[in-house]
Amino acid sequence: MRITAVDGSRATIAVEGLEQECSVMLVPTAGVGDYVLVHAGFAISILDEAEAQETYDLLREISAFDERDDAAPDAAEHGGADRAPDDDHAGGDDRR
Amino acid sequence: MTAADDLARLAAVLREEAGPGLTFMEVCGTHTMAIARYGLRQLLPAGVRLISGPGCPVCVTAMADLDRVLALARLPEVTLVTFGDLIRVPASRGTLAAERAAGADVRVVYSPSDAVRIAAAEPERQVVFAGIGFETTAPTTAAALLEARAAGLSNFSLLSLHKTMPLPLRALLDLGETPVSGFLLPGHVSVITGTACYEFLARDYGIAGVVAGFEARDVLEALLMLVRQPEPGIAIQYTRAVRPEGNVVAQRLLEQVFEPSDADWRGLGVIPGSGLTLRAGFADADAARRFTVDPGPTLEPPGCRCGEVLRGVTDPAGCALFGARCTPEDPVGACMVSSEGACAARYRYRGLDDA
Repeated sequence: MRITAVDGSRATIAVEGLEQECSVMLVPTAGVGDYVLVHAGFAISILDEAEAQETYDLLREISAFDERDDAAPDAAEHGGADRAPDDDHAGGDDRR
Repeated sequence: MTAADDLARLAAVLREEAGPGLTFMEVCGTHTMAIARYGLRQLLPAGVRLISGPGCPVCVTAMADLDRVLALARLPEVTLVTFGDLIRVPASRGTLAAERAAGADVRVVYSPSDAVRIAAAEPERQVVFAGIGFETTAPTTAAALLEARAAGLSNFSLLSLHKTMPLPLRALLDLGETPVSGFLLPGHVSVITGTACYEFLARDYGIAGVVAGFEARDVLEALLMLVRQPEPGIAIQYTRAVRPEGNVVAQRLLEQVFEPSDADWRGLGVIPGSGLTLRAGFADADAARRFTVDPGPTLEPPGCRCGEVLRGVTDPAGCALFGARCTPEDPVGACMVSSEGACAARYRYRGLDDA
């Protein structure tokens, strides 16, 4: 849900084309344009766009290692086609 | 490339890498629902079992507490306000829905702030908000309480049945009746708490935990992270919403309004320090102090195994009442009522979600 206006601790958010209100009291740094997670009428987290793009790290890694040619469009869809697989997640020999 | 391809890929890697005899427990009603709706159990390798724990707020609410809510609703001066899930949960004698049909003033809201608005609009009514939920919801109740105070509303009070998540995990592990290889940790609770509160799982029990999001891909990816952890630790898969430190503003608000107290959990009993009670400074808005009620003796529904389901000991389908005498339309136990309950999710998506 994207914030379209802020007035004090109240914000207007766009949800599937409809406008709704929520409180931003719990995320005071939220501003217009931020995507927020809303629970029971309160925004509780500002969704990190960079993190959102890295969301499916493992999935992209799997796609990158996939021999099928159609792996690339999938990676691009998540916004990081040319990003190297995370060191934390790469390699497979030491896994249980 | 479709989402289904993504899932097939993740499932294939899981099948390749997961050893036998792995049991992962989720402790969040939204995960329960997601796993059932997406049919994830059927994508998992044979050696991986997914079970539900005490993650549905309405389900873990003890019978004695439900009885107190009903007793409060029966007071003629009280307007009892709560979330929708609670209305149909069977207490010892009836439900809030039945009380409403019998004339009690029971109202369902989406946000605790709506209860404050009712109190402002109807000053002649004693508006009691029955606050149920974990760390995700408790800050919204705390915020509403401060809104009521700022507006000078003396007719608003809170019955706090809020609970905190980490301690029941310890209680569950101490019981030792459920072998848990790792936890899918709740996404929205962790938005507030961060991850430090779960470190004890790895430190004291050698059990890993991964904070997971709610899409099918999130859950499978988190399971893969659990399988891949070389040493037990706490990690975040749901990084787009959860920071390691959590929501510090919400944590401060919880600290300001509530203090830890003993709480009674269905299936787990009283767990010291696992509840949230209003601090002395908010005693005037504490419905537990403002009203004296006699809820009467508690009666558990015969044959209901909701407590065992909440400990992950019994599969919903392992209860003789499941789908027969107990259905979402005519529920016997809380786990069949709440949309986040393990029994309700299994029933609704039966065929897709068979264990």
